[in-house]
Amino acid sequence: MSDAALAIKGLSKSFGGVRAITDVSLAVPEGSLTAVIGPNGAGKTTLFNLVTNLYAADSGAIDFQGRSIRGLSPGAIARLGLIRTFQSARIFPGMTARENALAGAHMHLGVATWKHMLWLNSARREERSLAAKADRLLELVGLAVFRDVAATDLPMGAQKMLEVVRALMAEPRLLLLDEPAAGLNDAETAELAALLRAVRDSGITLIVVEHNMSLVMGVADQVVVLDAGSIVAAGTPRAIQQDKRVIAAYVGSEA
Amino acid sequence: MNLAIQIVIGGLLQGAVFAVIALGFSLVFRVTGVLNLSQGAFCVVGALVMYTIEVSWGWPTPVAAVAASLATAAFGLALGALCFVPAVPRLPTSSMLILTAGLLTLLQGVLLIGWSSQPYALPPFSGEAPVVLWGVRVPTQGFWIAGITVAVVVAMWFVVQRTTLGTALRACAENRVAARLMGIDVPRMTLLSFGMAVLIAAISGIAVAPITSLEFDTGGFFTNFGFIAVAIGGLGSFLGSVAGGLFLGVAEQLAAGYVSSLFANALALALLLMVLLWRPNGLFGGGAVRRTDVRDEQRIYHAIVRVQGRGGLVFAAAAVALVLVLPLLFPSAGILSSLVITGILYISVLGLDVLMGYAGQVSLGQAGFMAIGGYTASILAVTYGVSPLWGTVAGIVLSVAAAWVLSFVTLRLRGHYLALATLAFGLLIDSLTVGMVDTTGGPSGLAGIPAFSVGSIVFASPIAMYYLVVGIIIVLVLALYGAMRSGFGRALIAVRTDQTAAVALGVNVVRYKLAAFLISAALGSLSGSLYAFYFHFLAPEMVATPRSFEMIAMLVAGGEGTLVGSALGVALLTLLPTVFQPFALYKTLAEGLLLVLCFMWLPEGIFGFATVQLARWLRRGAPPATAAEKAMP
Repeated sequence: MSDAALAIKGLSKSFGGVRAITDVSLAVPEGSLTAVIGPNGAGKTTLFNLVTNLYAADSGAIDFQGRSIRGLSPGAIARLGLIRTFQSARIFPGMTARENALAGAHMHLGVATWKHMLWLNSARREERSLAAKADRLLELVGLAVFRDVAATDLPMGAQKMLEVVRALMAEPRLLLLDEPAAGLNDAETAELAALLRAVRDSGITLIVVEHNMSLVMGVADQVVVLDAGSIVAAGTPRAIQQDKRVIAAYVGSEA
Repeated sequence: MNLAIQIVIGGLLQGAVFAVIALGFSLVFRVTGVLNLSQGAFCVVGALVMYTIEVSWGWPTPVAAVAASLATAAFGLALGALCFVPAVPRLPTSSMLILTAGLLTLLQGVLLIGWSSQPYALPPFSGEAPVVLWGVRVPTQGFWIAGITVAVVVAMWFVVQRTTLGTALRACAENRVAARLMGIDVPRMTLLSFGMAVLIAAISGIAVAPITSLEFDTGGFFTNFGFIAVAIGGLGSFLGSVAGGLFLGVAEQLAAGYVSSLFANALALALLLMVLLWRPNGLFGGGAVRRTDVRDEQRIYHAIVRVQGRGGLVFAAAAVALVLVLPLLFPSAGILSSLVITGILYISVLGLDVLMGYAGQVSLGQAGFMAIGGYTASILAVTYGVSPLWGTVAGIVLSVAAAWVLSFVTLRLRGHYLALATLAFGLLIDSLTVGMVDTTGGPSGLAGIPAFSVGSIVFASPIAMYYLVVGIIIVLVLALYGAMRSGFGRALIAVRTDQTAAVALGVNVVRYKLAAFLISAALGSLSGSLYAFYFHFLAPEMVATPRSFEMIAMLVAGGEGTLVGSALGVALLTLLPTVFQPFALYKTLAEGLLLVLCFMWLPEGIFGFATVQLARWLRRGAPPATAAEKAMP
């Protein structure tokens, strides 16, 4: 499994008596885009929360690039290059859009704070190059006009895109996106699809939780279907579209 | 043996007040999730109104007691309806805590104006002669206190646990939105809980007034100990509040009786810090647990205040020029002295801004670090002949060390408990500065402190001190501005607004909280040292807990999270009493009022408001992309 960016084996989690995730095993190849789909309450976000250890898993193994990350703190997991976004865009209030993007680069700050306190040139240079990078990304997703606007004043769709930009500023090796298309209109969704492809082609492995089927089928290399906490199907988008169990999970078992 | 019993009885009576205040805390906390720090002041309001009605007007005791309780409750309801209820859904709980601290200050200001600053004691309800039981003398008022406390506790328990009204109150505690959807009038319940808490505080204040001497600012003492009692017992737990209050009262009296009254507070506070460290939910469990995982801080809604690019440079140059010529414009000695004090206090508030305005950590103990810095430098200079510069450095080292030790407690805590731990720290330092008479000079203070000097340069005159302080401030502001616009500042704001998201980006939350705390401690200490060297004298009340609250008022009024904004708040509250002498009497009231008003109508502070308005005004005349918008932040 050395070619898997993320390998999950036998992962389970229950809240009280409710089994949220049951015996989930999943391998995400390096450089691929995996979509996780499933009805509401299937456990998609819980799966992300387990991988990033916001919730502690009851049992199972989580390996990131061949190294077990189960039990590592959320911060330590992030520092390994596993970055996530949240279902409800969790951008930072009290910062502009650009500052939010810059906050994503936190792990890649090389200049010590005391050099910033002394206004040294090296510190200013780093800020300028980070700001230029943030501006390029904001430009790419069409948020350049909002650059100096308070992030919380942005429309919901823009906030979600900003969160993706912020995550990209962290230079992730594996990026977990939780419903990035929620709140986006059709044009924005098409832009998002292009962005996701570009991100994958730049070598970043992606796992995307998504409801928007056309987006998923258009960009995913692999689709994993969760229902009631278990994987009911996994395969290429084409195979999944014809899978009876998937149709049952989505439309009901009569279909 | 009799002595021990005597002490325990005294402790129980003292503890009864703490218990009722703690009960009020618990009630309001359960319904709103807010710790209402104004709670203790209503005890004093009740008692002083009672004094006026009973002693000045000569009404019979029972009538006066009922009238005073109801009048206080009515006043409390009005205040709650105006200032508390509208703020609860709008402000994050940390801001609510400070808002209620403002209410506490406001009430003390009202009492100071209405009843001046002398101590009051009510006559006992049934005569002076104590009852002797098995050789133990118990004041008759003790039976009144015990009876009234039991009645209050039972009545509260009945209302909350056994009536429909109580169910509605508890529903608000559980989930405000759901409660509203179920047709419960949440604002009314909030007001009701506030009013009930005021009523019981007034009743217990009236009951205890004959055996305690009360002044306009005793409310702060009641609040502090009620707060500590509720923390020891467990926030939101009724049983815990009562037990915590009684326990605290007894522990304090025993410490006073057997060790020293001066260290009684210190022992109580050390006890609290230990409880917070090992049982953060209190000794009696949490009681009704409130959800704290909601992203409450999203309610920080103040506008983003950024002065950028060329506009910022012009503004900064103008501000520096103004500060440099200020003493020439106002040659009066009184104003110059106030300007120096403004500068010195601003250094401390600057530290508080890093901690509260950026990292969002409420600290009610900033004056404690001023005390450490002030006393360390002064004692070293007076007793050991250490030069002021090295004394100041030693103070900073000691303050940072103290903050580091305290951080073992505070870093594990959030919100109310953090505020509580810093308050306890401040009070602990207060009692040490008063108690260690041999080293600090005790209540009468430490005199003969030399002027500040560096090598052979002595800053003896106010004007020299002024320019020294201005120089220090310019260096500090430049350094902090450099840090705050870098990843350091962004990490602090991220930690403040969304810890989970910050962690998910690899931010080491603990490290940044600690850094902010150490910076604030260092600046507080520096400010305290300069303060002592400027006055050539240092007394405990100059750097005591009310000073911490005053600095918070200055910070909020000036503008949090802007570094420079708070200077306006400091100047306002320091210069006004000098310029208008009669204002001195109204200073406490003004502080409280300013805090409350700013939180309700000017959350970004004076500076923030002015900046936002100015930016809006500039944008109106300019083309879409102005120079300021293009400039790098």
